[in-house]
Amino acid sequence: MQIHILYGTETGNAEMLAEDISDHLSEHAPEVTNLEDFDPADFDTGTFYLVVTSTYGDGELPASAQPFAEKMASQAPDLSGIRFAVFGMGDSEYPETFNFGGKRLEEMLTGAGAELVGERVTHDASGSDMADDLALPWVDALLAEGVA
Amino acid sequence: MTSIAIVGAGPSGCYTAQALAKALPDARIDLIDRLPVPYGLIRYGVAPDHQGTKAVIRQFERLFTRNDVAFFGNVTLGADLTLEDLRASHEAVVLATGLHTDRRLGIAGEDLPGVIGSGVVTRGWNDYPDAERPQIGPRVVIVGNGNVAVDLLRILAKAPAEFDGSDFAPESGAALMAAGVTRIDVVGRSGAGMAKFDPVMLRELGRLAQASLHVHGATGEGKVIEALQAIDVHRPEGATREVHFHFGWTPEDIEGRACVEAVRFRASNGEGALHLPCDTVLTAIGFDGETAQADGDGRIAEGLYATGWYRRGPRGTIPENRADAQAVAARIAADLAQATSDKPGRAALTAGLPEAVGYDGWRRIDAAECAACPPDRARRKIATRAEMLTLARQSEDR
Repeated sequence: MQIHILYGTETGNAEMLAEDISDHLSEHAPEVTNLEDFDPADFDTGTFYLVVTSTYGDGELPASAQPFAEKMASQAPDLSGIRFAVFGMGDSEYPETFNFGGKRLEEMLTGAGAELVGERVTHDASGSDMADDLALPWVDALLAEGVA
Repeated sequence: MTSIAIVGAGPSGCYTAQALAKALPDARIDLIDRLPVPYGLIRYGVAPDHQGTKAVIRQFERLFTRNDVAFFGNVTLGADLTLEDLRASHEAVVLATGLHTDRRLGIAGEDLPGVIGSGVVTRGWNDYPDAERPQIGPRVVIVGNGNVAVDLLRILAKAPAEFDGSDFAPESGAALMAAGVTRIDVVGRSGAGMAKFDPVMLRELGRLAQASLHVHGATGEGKVIEALQAIDVHRPEGATREVHFHFGWTPEDIEGRACVEAVRFRASNGEGALHLPCDTVLTAIGFDGETAQADGDGRIAEGLYATGWYRRGPRGTIPENRADAQAVAARIAADLAQATSDKPGRAALTAGLPEAVGYDGWRRIDAAECAACPPDRARRKIATRAEMLTLARQSEDR
């Protein structure tokens, strides 16, 4: 099954992580797309989606995910049969809105009928772990469960 | 090979290098900074207790380790090399030098001891090389209604344990405790609805362990006002500091004989006066300085470009400067597509700048800062240029 990594970024941290996941999965030859360049009409049931997103401002989606959110709202697509997983990036210095970006995208996709696989995982920018150290084992675990 | 020099290794310079390295994978990029260390305002402007915001540095480290990007620190344009030299040696030169000077209030008493610009305070608290630690008294007035004002007040209001995980120097923490701040007034010229605070940074204040928060005159609607109203109830038991927010007051003059004694404000619309006795005034009303005469894409002249605050003025946070850097880099890439590339580039810098600190030198400084780090801190910054240079020049085999 094809793997497609979609990322929403504001400062570039989520973009870098998306590229690292892509390098890690090179034998699956995943596609990597900035959410601002992705149209909900292009979701495909033969593909597994890895969504990587930060949170920005007051718990909002990062800038590059906002055009996607607008298209989701205006197109209201039926995403039944679409499977995805979400890796969020947050900063616990702002606990009230920690990882709202990942939460919002998850709710947006499940609300349209897509199926979340596994649990949403969140990296904390103020913690001591590197995002890769959390994200790459998470991806490996998803693949071990046979998602793609 | 195309050679590009970027002057200023702060966030705008680094994002420009990142975008250029993607657009022109064969280009060789040299990042020049007057400090022996890279990352500019990420290291010296972002507050020491906002380590998550500093995480973008991990992107920039890759420029030096994975792309053909070199660091030339401890190099001052105009002293160690001229702009003409640089334009002669590189196909494109990008000025990402930022703006450094605190904007002045332009009122009487501004030069009294005890009146300090936010840039001076921030450099002191961030261990900018050879910067002095600011002298703070128990009663502080902060003039300004943006995120810099919030950073200043948050650091003044924190208890020692609230700096855990930061890179705030223990000496700076001790100096603040000795100052014994009891009251902080934050005063803005415009109404609360126009204040430039980030709501999320206001809400962060609602977790301060020892400061009570009092908001005056925040009526109306909007996210900032909602956040102000939400924190107005923050009254932790045993609070030792009071923070007061005031809106719609224009500073009139700063009173005092040998040093600051009070600030007088008048109502921005209409009648009324506010008189705040104090011994420290921190101004956080923005930065000033010459900006580039560049076109909309950041082009100043053939092969010469500007980006970041130096191009647009002192507005915008890290993501806005990233977007700006990407736009300028796209323009440079388009212009260079037609250019011939036969200039000496990095070889000219290496030959002409024997005192420059390279990325390996910075790595030695970085390692020393991490090794000397107390358990409750993220890092212990080296605070003098002399010590940085000594560390940078230690040979690996010692």
